[in-house]
Order: sequence, then C-alpha cells, then structure tokens
Amino acid sequence: GPDPIGSSGFHRTVLKNGSPYCYMKVCLVLQDQETRLNAVELKSLIITGLKDLHGEVGAALPFDVLKFDEGSLTAVLRVCSGGLVKLWSSLTLQGYYQSQACAFRVLQVSRFNL
Amino acid sequence: MNTFSSFYLIKKLPVHELLDPGLQGAINQGVVYGLSFGTRIDEDTCVALMPKGRLVLSLDKDSYELLGVEGKPSRFNHRTCSRFVVSVDLTDSSMAPGGRGHTRLLTGLRSHLQLQTDFLLSHHPEGGASLQPLLSRYDWSKHEPEVSCRHLTDLTCPDFRSCDCHSLLEWIGAVEADISCESSSSSFLSSFTCPEPNDVLSHALSVSICGLLLPHDVQRLIQELRCHLQQTQLESWASLTVHGFIDSPVSWGDNEHGVLSGGENFYNLLMFPDHTYHLHLATGAYDTCPP
Repeated sequence: GPDPIGSSGFHRTVLKNGSPYCYMKVCLVLQDQETRLNAVELKSLIITGLKDLHGEVGAALPFDVLKFDEGSLTAVLRVCSGGLVKLWSSLTLQGYYQSQACAFRVLQVSRFNL
Repeated sequence: MNTFSSFYLIKKLPVHELLDPGLQGAINQGVVYGLSFGTRIDEDTCVALMPKGRLVLSLDKDSYELLGVEGKPSRFNHRTCSRFVVSVDLTDSSMAPGGRGHTRLLTGLRSHLQLQTDFLLSHHPEGGASLQPLLSRYDWSKHEPEVSCRHLTDLTCPDFRSCDCHSLLEWIGAVEADISCESSSSSFLSSFTCPEPNDVLSHALSVSICGLLLPHDVQRLIQELRCHLQQTQLESWASLTVHGFIDSPVSWGDNEHGVLSGGENFYNLLMFPDHTYHLHLATGAYDTCPP
C-alpha cells in the first residue's frame, strides 16, 4: 500500500487497471411490457443466464445488484473485474424470461461507480 | 452554484465557422470552449475547441481523407487504422485568417468535408460579444447548468483517512446513485457495504450540476467549499467529483481520449477543514496518465 504521508508531504500513487470491480447499468426489455419483476427475480434470471452459457462455474460468479428500479427495470450491477466478460456475454445472450422473449440493454459500463 | 456560467447549444453548426475571423479575438484570449454534442467518439466525427485555442477533430478514415489536413492516427485504433486525430493551434501565425494553414483547413471543412455538427459553446464573460454574430446565423438555445440537490439523513460514512481509494470512490458513487449501503454482506442481492470503520452522519447534502461547465466556475466552487469547511465543525468534509464528457476527443492535458468501454475521465477532490485533501484522478486504460 502507499507510504504514510509526511507532515508537509505530497504523496502520489498511480494505479493502472487497479479497480477491483466493474459496474454495469443495464435495462431489461420484455416482450410483454406490463410484466414486472423484483430484484430477487432479476438476480435469479441473470444467474440462470450465467449457468446456461458458462455452466456451474459461471453460475457461481459472484455479482451484486446494487440498485434496481422496478418501474423502468433498470439495474446497477457490480462484478469483479475478471468476471465482466462472463457476465456481459451472458446478459447479451439472455433471450427468455419465463416464457416470453427478453433482452438486456447494457446502458453503461465502467470500472468506477461514479 | 447559481452563478455557474450558461452555455449555448447550436444546432448543425458548420465547423468552418469556428475559423471565422470574428471569433479569432476571443479564441486568442482563451475565453471560448466548445464541444460537439451528440457525437460518439468511436463512431462519429467529434470536435473540441480548447480554451488555449486548439481545435481538435477526431475523424474516421474517409472523413480524414476528405478533409485533406495532416493529422495522426488515433491511439485507440484496433488492428486497422480507422480513426485519425487532427489537432490545430488556431493561435499560430499560419492559422491567422489568410494564412496557408487557415486556408487549407477552411477549404477542407467548408468544401471537401462540409462538416456540420450540433455544438456546445461556452465562454468567459468577456467573450460573449464576439459570439453574437455567429449565433445570429444559426439555430441556437441558451442553457443554464442543471442543478439538483438532495438532503441526506443518517448517512453511513467511512473513515476517509483509512479508506483505500477504490472503496472511497465506490462509496461516493453509491451515495450519488442512491445505492443503499444497508444490506449485510451475506444478503442474496448485494454484498456491498460501507467500508469499515464507519460512522453515521445525521445530515449531508448531495448536489449535482450538469452542463458544459467552465474550469474557473469549478475553481470558484472549490474556494467556496473550502471557506465553508473553515467555518463548520472539525469532522466535516466536502467531496467534489468533476466528470469530463465520455465522448470528448480530449482528456487530461490536450491528450487524446477514447471510450473503450466506459469513457471515464474524472477527478474527485475530497477536502478537509485542515486544508488537507485527497485528489483522485481517473481515466480509461489507454488514455494518457493524468498530470
């Protein structure tokens, strides 16, 4: 870690690719626009997608639903940086929720939550 | 915050108008800032007018060849050379109206490429008059920066002195996005918690200002925040985050900016009453390292 700062010190640390997490803002679009789901159902849907594409190992990928707006079906997800490709690819290929067609639109991706 | 400068949005501005002699005085004084609006840095032509008088164009290969002005391949090219950056110092003697460089660029923008884009334009107070002839020729609207405030109560807040930078930035982002830190680390939905050690603040204020903001307005805000911190309790702090535009062709210094997946270029200044501060600067993986 960085050295302690001296009494009149100026300390600069440069971290390259140091962010441990990636953040994704996604929106779920459903064939039946009246359908609603809660955050738990959303997370279960994403886990199902991970399992379908990446198997049991994929399904075990930890990710967080930091925020979910039930009205607009928009969520902010957090995943470790190494898991971004797995998560993003399974969101892209997620085609069905229960029996209706669905799609995840990835609105924004960043290494920072800001 | 109410004294942040307003800015203009000009619809379908022919970019050659930025070379108009009437604007030259304001550009030389360094009081004009501009950025193309609604253009994507990886797909469209993006234009930035820097306060030091530098005009930066980020173009795809066909547009670059049509323009006929020398530039450099983009640092963000992947395998094939498909994007180019043209950077021109409008204060240079060759770029004075009638000069060789000026004529070449003007011809390129006006006749060959005929580049037009929606454009955001801002200026220091002394530059306003010289923009009027330009504005009178096109469809424009004036905008005030959008300010919104939220009062927060019972905010769980980490100990900033011991918090690592990524956790700190994550927490600040969570407050701004209204993401709860309340879930326990064993919850199904989210394991995100406020970094330890933490404390609960009874009151806090979160403010957001959105628009084409001028650096001197931001600096004035920083001075006001510092004064405010001096007058309040010892344990207070202020955090200021400033974001650059995701699709801007330039980032820190005058260096090229690309979007990759996030397009982030921002800084966060965390200030304390004893004049100490933490400054975090962040940018994309292939952008130039901030100064």
